[in-house]
Amino acid sequence: MSKTKEQEPIELHGDIWKHIQPGEVILDARGITKRYPGGVLANDHIDFKIRAGEIHAILGENGAGKTTLMSILFGLLQPDEGEIYVRGLKVRFRSPEDAIKMGIGMVHQHRKLVPAHTVLENILLGHPRSRGVINVKEAEEEVVAIAERYGFKVDPRARVWQLTEGEKQVVEIVKALYRGAKILILDEPTSALTPVETERLLESIETMTNEALGVVPFITHKLPMVLTISDHVTILRRGKVVDHIETAKATEQILAQKMVGRPVIFDLQKPPSQPGEPVIQVENLSAKNNKGVIALKNVSFTVREGEILGIAGVAGNGQHELAETIFGMRPAETGKIIFNGQDITQLSILDRWKLGMGYTPAERTEVGSIGDFSLVENVAMNYYFDKRYNHSGFLDYGRLRGLTEQIIEEYDVATPGPDVKIQTLSGGNLQKIIMGRVLSRQPKLVIANLPAQGLDVGATEFVQRKLLEARSNRAAVILISEDLDEILSLSDWIAPMYEGHIVDIIPAAEAKKDIIGAMIAGLHQEN
Amino acid sequence: MTVAGYQIRLQRRASLPGWKAAMFSILAILFGLLLFSFIFLQADQSPKEIYKQIFRYAFFNSYGLRLTINRFIFLAMASYAFIIPFRAGLWNIGMPGQLYMGALAAFGVVYLLGGKTGDLAVAQPVVLVLMVIASMVAGALIGGIAGLLKGKWNVNEIVVTMMLNFIAFYFVSFMIKDGGPFMNVGGRGESFELPEAARAPLIAGFPYTLVMVFVLMIVLYVLFSRMSLGYQIRAFGKSPSAARYAGINPFKISVLVFMLGGALAGLAGYHYFGAVPGVYKIARTYGYFGDLSFYGMICGLISLGNPIATLFIALLFGGLSIGGRYAQGKLHLGFGVDYALMGVLMISLVAFQFFYNYQITFSKKPTGK
Amino acid sequence: MLAFLIRSLEAAMIFTFAGLGELVDQRSGILNVGLEGIMLFGATLGFIAAKTTGNYLIGFLVGIGIGALLGLMHGFFSITLGVDQVVSGMGIWIFGFGMTTYIGNPYTGPLGLERLPTVFGISPFFFLAIIMVVIVWFVLTKTGWGLNIRSVGEQPSVAEVSGLKVARIRYLCVIFGGMMAGFAGAVYGLYYNPVWNYNFLMGWGFISLALVFFSMWNPYLLFGGAVLFGLLWQLSLNPQMFFPGLASRYVWRMVPFVMTILVLILISSKWFRSRWGAATPEALGKPYHKK
Repeated sequence: MSKTKEQEPIELHGDIWKHIQPGEVILDARGITKRYPGGVLANDHIDFKIRAGEIHAILGENGAGKTTLMSILFGLLQPDEGEIYVRGLKVRFRSPEDAIKMGIGMVHQHRKLVPAHTVLENILLGHPRSRGVINVKEAEEEVVAIAERYGFKVDPRARVWQLTEGEKQVVEIVKALYRGAKILILDEPTSALTPVETERLLESIETMTNEALGVVPFITHKLPMVLTISDHVTILRRGKVVDHIETAKATEQILAQKMVGRPVIFDLQKPPSQPGEPVIQVENLSAKNNKGVIALKNVSFTVREGEILGIAGVAGNGQHELAETIFGMRPAETGKIIFNGQDITQLSILDRWKLGMGYTPAERTEVGSIGDFSLVENVAMNYYFDKRYNHSGFLDYGRLRGLTEQIIEEYDVATPGPDVKIQTLSGGNLQKIIMGRVLSRQPKLVIANLPAQGLDVGATEFVQRKLLEARSNRAAVILISEDLDEILSLSDWIAPMYEGHIVDIIPAAEAKKDIIGAMIAGLHQEN
Repeated sequence: MTVAGYQIRLQRRASLPGWKAAMFSILAILFGLLLFSFIFLQADQSPKEIYKQIFRYAFFNSYGLRLTINRFIFLAMASYAFIIPFRAGLWNIGMPGQLYMGALAAFGVVYLLGGKTGDLAVAQPVVLVLMVIASMVAGALIGGIAGLLKGKWNVNEIVVTMMLNFIAFYFVSFMIKDGGPFMNVGGRGESFELPEAARAPLIAGFPYTLVMVFVLMIVLYVLFSRMSLGYQIRAFGKSPSAARYAGINPFKISVLVFMLGGALAGLAGYHYFGAVPGVYKIARTYGYFGDLSFYGMICGLISLGNPIATLFIALLFGGLSIGGRYAQGKLHLGFGVDYALMGVLMISLVAFQFFYNYQITFSKKPTGK
Repeated sequence: MLAFLIRSLEAAMIFTFAGLGELVDQRSGILNVGLEGIMLFGATLGFIAAKTTGNYLIGFLVGIGIGALLGLMHGFFSITLGVDQVVSGMGIWIFGFGMTTYIGNPYTGPLGLERLPTVFGISPFFFLAIIMVVIVWFVLTKTGWGLNIRSVGEQPSVAEVSGLKVARIRYLCVIFGGMMAGFAGAVYGLYYNPVWNYNFLMGWGFISLALVFFSMWNPYLLFGGAVLFGLLWQLSLNPQMFFPGLASRYVWRMVPFVMTILVLILISSKWFRSRWGAATPEALGKPYHKK
């Protein structure tokens, strides 16, 4: 054990941040190593430094170890090896509380806010000011003042669940600043923002760094953003630092290559479209969200055999409600759904499965699978009612097992066998089982809700190829995605959604990324 | 935590093999019995001696064994009444109410056939079949209330079944006391006695309801391991949202499992008040049997809802409660030894739940460079 | 008539004590369905302690103490060991039901102490209950502790990254809940119904649990519900006061239980939820594991 002076963080915070010179190293991580049970080396001796007043991007694919590293810097995880120095002082974070006290703030990719609470309550949570009786008026004034200093607007009395994703992020940033954060970690800060919100965020980040803050946005594949905003980039691959680059010297090409480790060729074989009969017609469909507010507003469209309709949009604009309403998991408030010429608006979910609809939900672990069940039993979710596997009330587990083995083989699922619990599978393999299970029914309509979200490059490619394969097999496909590149490369028609409306339906050949980007941001209203 | 160069850590289990689960269940029971020894010690008795007496009386004394089997049948049915909703993730603690209603319905059949005062005009097999059906239907109906409310409005089933227990409890009192229609003509605050023709036949000295238990075991085993309905119940129990996505109707499952569970608890009521030799009436202490049915909850939890394992545990608990009562009388222990045993076993079981969820691993601490 | 009202309010105060503890407990995300078991323990041990020492204070302290211990036990099982909260709660209930039957049996019968004094004819505990309602409301809505408790019950992971210690807050809440339930039981056994009999609590713990659902996790609504139930309970005991000769006494005894179910249905209906706004703590009943 090294004998470096370790002090209780709380005593230090008062003076450690005084007299900072721009450009001086304020955070120094040395040899950070984290092993997960099972031997996965998530971080392998990672070194990097953050200087005052710089924006430092950390780039890497899913699974490269970014989240682990940030969790360690924020005290959520403890490293197995390695040291962290804040302004030259060795620190050890046993919990986020310690990290916060040392001036580190984090804005999480998946919002860490309490939806039922007000903005003020969220900002005060854990703050020393919230001890004892809370003086709401004074706290409100302070919060508004600090937000305005950086060009943010907050309404301290609003309930968080009423806010847009962009507003929620502002709340998180203000919360970190209010607690005196000097180093701000932003985890995928723009993943849920519209282009306009992104621009506004980037401006504010620049204002912040002028106050000698170190800001660490870390970003996966949004290379243009890394280039426009950051001063330095640290690139991670498989838990190791591949390179540190000054952004001024980097190009998109170089960064992409270093991140993936091979020249990037991302080319899906997409045969020309051969549309057939209409499979699904949605007319004037409306539905409520979980809060009871109308979130899907008078949507109409038609999808034909052999076509992919891409629903583009930022999370929370009604896409989720659209998918669930078409599949019968949410009642339609108005309108009707016609499937193969039959009005199915009132039919049950089971009837829809039987008629040949298939749905791969975005919530793979909560809705798409049953963690405690084996792979065979999970495959049975779509077959327990099927005459071929259900002989007058008795399930043919032998045949189900055969089917499962077939899916494992065809989809290249990494698993010890069909009898292990599905919760032992990684995200990509889980999605392969879900896709395989749904597509093996050869549905006439496939609704794929965020099919590639959170998957690594290999699994993403695989899932996308399977969707195209379904299209070649004459299925109609509704693809919901927040990734415009995915939408553009797979769809035949693109329907951008904004605030529950479909803004327009555009043939993919005529679609331009910037126009669709503007539509999902609500800037391009047109019908 | 580090001890002598070894790192000890807790890990959540990804899976638990069947034999290990069985081992933990057995350990939980043994631990409970060990804990329970303190009660004997506190009463200045040697636990070893008492357990010997309990087991000898319950399993090796022909009179005691008969009592044990009667109770085993009762507990097995009560356990199954708990297990079916439990596999669907729902808590049925309404076995007492369901069994009271089952018993009342069975006696109701006899009452309607004129059996309160005289002989029955119908042949014995007909009466028995009607009694069994009536008890199951009554249990299913009162159980179904909880399922209906759960399925329709998501009303908490624990509170509802508990409230139904009290309602059914007073309903029995209403029927058999204070001049109620089923009251014994002697007015002793208990029900009329079943006439000869309504008494259950014995097979080798045991009530014929014993056969039903084994049939139920096979049916439930097949239901859960082979049948589509059992699959749907299990899927709903593990993840209601995933089950709904798969097209399983949550309302149907909630109502069905509570009706099935209630029917079996109703049957348990029929068994104890209508088929056990020497009873053949709803006694004034009927509440005791309601309380006893909570052992079914422990059986169901310890066996992890496995219908075969349940029988072994029901047999053990049946013996323990009979033997406990015997020891209580013989050694002048306080009243309620079997109640206390139930409490101790339950809490031991809860503590052992930990091992189902976690495992403790030892590994040599990696030596730093 | 006055006696009837007083008895009703005294029943209400017991529901209030137990319900308030459970309310705080649930606000922190821990469901304790074993309330009945804790109350039984509080009532029985408090009764025995007071009877053997002849001292009421000791009785109440024992009730509160055993409640705290059982709350701690529930916390240990459900927070530290990660046992399903319903399983643990059911365990505590059966444990309480079984053990108190055995332990209390030799003390079956009346307490045999002078009745506790009253203020304006009603137990001073009634005023304590009102004060507690106000205190709990104030702490939950106006103070940082309340914010912490509510946050831990809504989104424990958010509380964690905000620097709170989730497990510690939840432990304090379950222990508080246990103390309140133990005290409620002791008030029942030492004041309201000081004649020990096995399972003499008659499901009051489960009714208190139902009241917490009824209250929408709001202390004032809880108190209102408790008064309503107190009145119903008295009515079911004295039907001849209002409906002389109507129906057997056993039918009347069913009434409060039927009412509990009806009220639960009412508050679970869409109509009620949309009107009062469902405030179910989001993390209620879900164990929290650090990554």
